[in-house]
Amino acid sequence: MNETMKKARDIITGYNGRPLRIMEVCGTHTHEIFRLGIRKLVPENVDIISGPGCPVCVTAVGFIDEAVWLALEKGCIICTFGDLIKVPGTEMSLAGARAKGAKVRPVYSPLDAVEIAKDNPDEQVVFLAVGFETTTPSACLAVKKALELRLDNFSILTANKTMPNAYNALVGSADAFIYPGHVNAITGNDACIRLCKEKGVSGVVAGFTASELITALAVAINLLQKGEPFFRNCYPRVVKDEGNPAAIALMNEVMEPCDSEWRGLGMIPMSGMKLREEYAEYDSRKKYDMPVITGRPNPACRCGDVLQGKCKPSDCKVFGKVCTPLHPVGACMVSDEGACSAYYQYSGLV
Amino acid sequence: MCVGLSAKVVSIKDQTALIDAGGAQREISSGVLEDLEPGDYVMVHAGVAIAKITSSDEDEANDVMGDLL
Repeated sequence: MNETMKKARDIITGYNGRPLRIMEVCGTHTHEIFRLGIRKLVPENVDIISGPGCPVCVTAVGFIDEAVWLALEKGCIICTFGDLIKVPGTEMSLAGARAKGAKVRPVYSPLDAVEIAKDNPDEQVVFLAVGFETTTPSACLAVKKALELRLDNFSILTANKTMPNAYNALVGSADAFIYPGHVNAITGNDACIRLCKEKGVSGVVAGFTASELITALAVAINLLQKGEPFFRNCYPRVVKDEGNPAAIALMNEVMEPCDSEWRGLGMIPMSGMKLREEYAEYDSRKKYDMPVITGRPNPACRCGDVLQGKCKPSDCKVFGKVCTPLHPVGACMVSDEGACSAYYQYSGLV
Repeated sequence: MCVGLSAKVVSIKDQTALIDAGGAQREISSGVLEDLEPGDYVMVHAGVAIAKITSSDEDEANDVMGDLL
C-alpha cells in the first residue's frame, strides 16, 4: 500500500466525529464497496447507504408488464440486458414469459439487438432500453444503426432515465453523495456543481477500483468535517467537467426528456428519455399501439424504501427468506448491482 | 448491465473499434468518441466507448489526495 492510500485509509478509519450518512448512488459502487471489504474499514459513525443507481432496480413493474405483453401478445423477440429477465412483473417476469414460449434473448449491447433484427428479417425485435445516461447513448446508436440499415423489424421500449432530477428528489437523504462516475463521464459535472451551489448538496464523483473508492470516501469524510458544501471530482482520469459532448448531442438528437416512473420514488417529472417524433417508427409503444399498462408491485417488497436509503435490505421482512437471488421478490435482489443482492452476497447476514 | 469495462484499443475502422480487455477481444462502437487511436485506453459501456482513460488509478489517487487534502 502506497503512502497516498495509507493516508486515505487513516482518514476513514480515524474518523470520530458526528454520525455521517454517505449515499453511494451507483449500483456498481454498492457492490464494489462490499466486495472490496471497504465497509469493514468504515467506523460505526459513518453509515454507507445505497441509492437509486441501479437502472434495473428503479425500472417500474409496469415496464416488465409491457415487455411481457410484447413478447406474448405480439410475439416479438425481446432483447434485453440479462439482469432484467428475472425481475418480477405483476403477473410474471420475462423468465416466466419465456417458459410460456416467449422469445427472450439476453444481449450485451443494444447494437447486438440490431444484428439480431438484421439476421431475422421475418421476426420483430424489441430492445428493452433501460439505463441512465451511461447506457442511453448505446440505445440511440442502435436506433440510428437500424435507420441506416432501413430495418423495419426493430424497435425499442424506452425506460431510459436521467439522474439530475433523481438527485433533487433525494436532497436531504444523506450528508454527501458518491456520484456514479460513468454517468458523469457522459453528462459532465454541471448538475452536481449546481446542486452544491444552489442547494448545498455535497458529493464526490468516484471511480470503481479500490484505490478510487477509498480516495473518494476519504475526501468526502475529510470535507464533511469542514462543514461547507462541496463537490469534488475524484475520478478525473475518466470524468471531465464537460463530459462527453458527442454522446450528449446524440442523446438530444434521438431522444427528448419525459416524465418517468421510478420504482420507489414514483413519478419524477422530466427524469426520463423517450424517442423523438422523428424516430417514432422505432418506438415499440407506438409501433404496436400498446395500451396503457400499469404494474402492481408486490406489497411485501421494500425495494422502494431501500432505493431511497430509508431502510437497509436486511430491514425488509422477506429479505433472505422468501426473497433470494434464486427467487427474487423485488428488483434489488435480482440485479447484480442491486443493494439487496449485495447485502445477500457479502454482508454475512444470511 | 451497468458494469464498465476498461480496455485497450487495438484498431479502429469506420467508428468501430476492436478492443482488448485482458486478452478478450471484441468490436465496439467508437461513435461518440473522437480522435481515438490504437493504444488508447477506453471505458466501455454496453458496447460503446464512452470515455478515454487518461491515467492510472494510482496517479489519479495521488493527484486527488494531493490537491484536496
